[in-house]
Amino acid sequence: MSSIHNVEILIVEDTAADAEMAVRAFKKNNLANNIYVVGDGEEALDFIYARGQFEERAEQAAPKIILLDLKLPKVDGLEVLRTLKADPVKKLIPVIVLTSSREERDIVESYSLGVNSYIVKPVDFDKFVEAVRNLGLYWLLLNQAPSLK
Amino acid sequence: MLTKSKNGTFRHRHRRISFLFTVFFMCAFNVFSYAHITIGQFHVHDTIFIASEPNYPPYSLVDENGNADGFSVELFIAAADAVGLHVDIKIGVWDKIKNDLANGDIDALPLVGRTPEREEFYDFTMPYLSLHGAVFVRKGTTNINSVFDLAGKEVVVMKGDNAEEFVRRENISDKIFTTNTYEEAFQLLASGQFDALITQRITGIKLLEELGIRSVEPLDFQIPQFRQDFCFAVQKGNVELQARLDEGLSIIIANGTFEEIRMKWFGPVFLEEVSFEDIVRILLIFFVPFIIIVSLIFIHFLRKTVKRRTQSLNDEVEEHKKTLDEYRKQTMLLEERESQINLLLNSTAEGIYGIDVNGNCTLINQSALQLLGFTDKSEVIGQNMHYLIHHTKENGTICELDECRIYKAFIEGEGTHSDLEVLWRTDGTSFSAEYFSYPIRQNSEVLGTVVTFWDITERKKASEELLQLKNNLEIIVAQRTAELEDKVQKLHKSQKAMLYMVEDLNQVSARLKRQTRKLELSRNELEAFSYSVSHDLRSPLRAIDGFSGFLIEDYYDQLDDEGKRLIQVIRESAKKMDKLILDLLNLSRLSRAEMRLSESDMEEIAKQSFNEIASSDEKREFELHFKKMRPLICDPNLMAHVWNNLIGNALKYSSKSAIKKIEISCLEADKALIFCVRDFGAGFNEKYKDKLFKVFQRLHRDNEFPGTGVGLSIVQRIIHRHGGEVWAEGEEGKGASFFFSVPLTV
Repeated sequence: MSSIHNVEILIVEDTAADAEMAVRAFKKNNLANNIYVVGDGEEALDFIYARGQFEERAEQAAPKIILLDLKLPKVDGLEVLRTLKADPVKKLIPVIVLTSSREERDIVESYSLGVNSYIVKPVDFDKFVEAVRNLGLYWLLLNQAPSLK
Repeated sequence: MLTKSKNGTFRHRHRRISFLFTVFFMCAFNVFSYAHITIGQFHVHDTIFIASEPNYPPYSLVDENGNADGFSVELFIAAADAVGLHVDIKIGVWDKIKNDLANGDIDALPLVGRTPEREEFYDFTMPYLSLHGAVFVRKGTTNINSVFDLAGKEVVVMKGDNAEEFVRRENISDKIFTTNTYEEAFQLLASGQFDALITQRITGIKLLEELGIRSVEPLDFQIPQFRQDFCFAVQKGNVELQARLDEGLSIIIANGTFEEIRMKWFGPVFLEEVSFEDIVRILLIFFVPFIIIVSLIFIHFLRKTVKRRTQSLNDEVEEHKKTLDEYRKQTMLLEERESQINLLLNSTAEGIYGIDVNGNCTLINQSALQLLGFTDKSEVIGQNMHYLIHHTKENGTICELDECRIYKAFIEGEGTHSDLEVLWRTDGTSFSAEYFSYPIRQNSEVLGTVVTFWDITERKKASEELLQLKNNLEIIVAQRTAELEDKVQKLHKSQKAMLYMVEDLNQVSARLKRQTRKLELSRNELEAFSYSVSHDLRSPLRAIDGFSGFLIEDYYDQLDDEGKRLIQVIRESAKKMDKLILDLLNLSRLSRAEMRLSESDMEEIAKQSFNEIASSDEKREFELHFKKMRPLICDPNLMAHVWNNLIGNALKYSSKSAIKKIEISCLEADKALIFCVRDFGAGFNEKYKDKLFKVFQRLHRDNEFPGTGVGLSIVQRIIHRHGGEVWAEGEEGKGASFFFSVPLTV
């Protein structure tokens, strides 16, 4: 896909169709140039901590936002969230949970771990595009994030 | 001296005197030996002072040395000595010394003739000498033959002598002359003065002898009124001294001193040959007067005795009168008591009778007569009670006297009691009786028995009935005890059964635990399943919808209208499936969700529900009616889903109706609140109402009213979880009413 460097949006999604739809939604809204998709939690953590296959990536160049699915192979979304939000540096990266689950416990757990937003993926793609546009506008353009050094 | 007299007559006189003494003292001693000696207020000194006359021979005189002497003086000294008294004697003329005693200058006089006049001044001892007076005249006087002949005659007496008292008292003559001494009186009489002289015979004779006067002689007749009892005299009231002197006299009489002194003064009695004439003369001259004297003495004592006796008799009579009065009073009291006792006896319900030691009836009361069937007590009094009423035992055998318990009362002297025997009526019938038999005692002697009895037939009957009852009770108690034992055994069995049951229960609960665990596992599986469904099942749908959309977007120009329509169908189907999945997940979630109960305002929840669900158009179009609802304990979140579904349905099914009205009401039923949501929309056919609450069951076609058929299932689940019920009424084209009840205690 695209370069692992200068990634603005990291999408953690094991379902390729969902990932593609998300990317399409961002692109449709002209929100991001560099979107990178990882398929599971382990890969997501490797990417952020610049290890494994992402060794050559500069760790300091953190994505602007992370879209995190909860149901993931190997390390699930909540575990990834917990790891990131427990890290004093990485916790500054906004994490938006984007999931099919309306389960209350997932919502509660996510917020208690420090998630920045929680979005349920609508089946209706138009609504999905609308939702992605809204979160992109906010987190990428309006939100003034602290610089990660 | 007198003893040496040669005068025969005088000797005879001596003998007479000695005889007189003897007789007198035999009487006197007898009389006075009874006298009580009482000690009075006077104190008797060891020495007492007395006075004696010089010229009353031989009783009182002065000897050659000028000392007092004489029979009376010696007797006094002896008597005083016998009781330990020393005597100091002075000499004085009678008239003087008798006043001395009266005044208390001296203690006693040895020789005082006792007269009524003198009793005023003196107290006297017993008389130790009794003399009679005599009338002395000149020889040859013939006209005086009795005391009465002295009337009109000139009579001379010694002044103050009892002779004077006598002549004046008896009024012997109106011509009474007195001299200081009898010597003078005799000399004057001998010289021819006066007609007669009265003094003691013996004193007179003694004086005549001493004076040598022969021309004067005593007359032989007696003067019974002038008899002199000579005693010792003490001052009036000096009882103590009088008593001592009396005692002394008694002592010297008893020990013979008296006789010695008498012998000294009056000499031994000579027994002389006397002729028959002498004897006759003595008898006539001496003995007759002597008898008279003795009689007089007796009369005197008799009088005194009679007086005393009369007094004591009077006292006795008085006493007897009192006693009699007392006796009468006691008798009256006794009669009263007796009548009271009779009343009491006859008014008591108990039969009472008394028997003497022979067993014969002495008294019986009315109740006893009635109980025994007698009409009058005369039928019973005197009868032997044992043979009359107690002769036979209850079993018909003879009751012997020696085993009769009533008799035991006086045989053994103790009360007896029985309530086991029968008494017999006069008509031959018997009755059970209780009796007490108590001995009547006087001092320690048993006089008889009082028997108290009463008919106890009724009591016996009652006690038999009681016994019967008691026996019955015992039977009942035995029965009950047996029943109780039975029950206890059953209980025992039940207990065992219970133990088994507990065991079973334990098994069941163990099984239940296993089941619960299984259930938990399956629930976990279900949750995993739900999660999986919500997450994974929807992804492909999203892809279907999304990529269908991409198809239209990217290849719009290459698709004809039919191609576009088909893609549209695919997208709608995907969306509908997603809705189904969401509803199913909802149903599952709400069924599993934990109940959080709190007091909730149902009206508020319903109103919020309406506000959330209804679109702005619907809010404008619909008329909403609420009735007052009271607060309720429930889970407000779950209850919101109920209202959402019911109000949502009401809105949906009224959308094509003319009447757009929803009525929400509440009424209180037994222990529950019943809520109702009524609309006037499409309604439903009642014959399908059973299908209303089943999952995915619908009564309308989807193109009429879209839906998944899950909403009412959710309502039913939630209401069931609250312990309530749901039901519905409706009519096609007219509307529907959906009811649900919620118990007040969830």
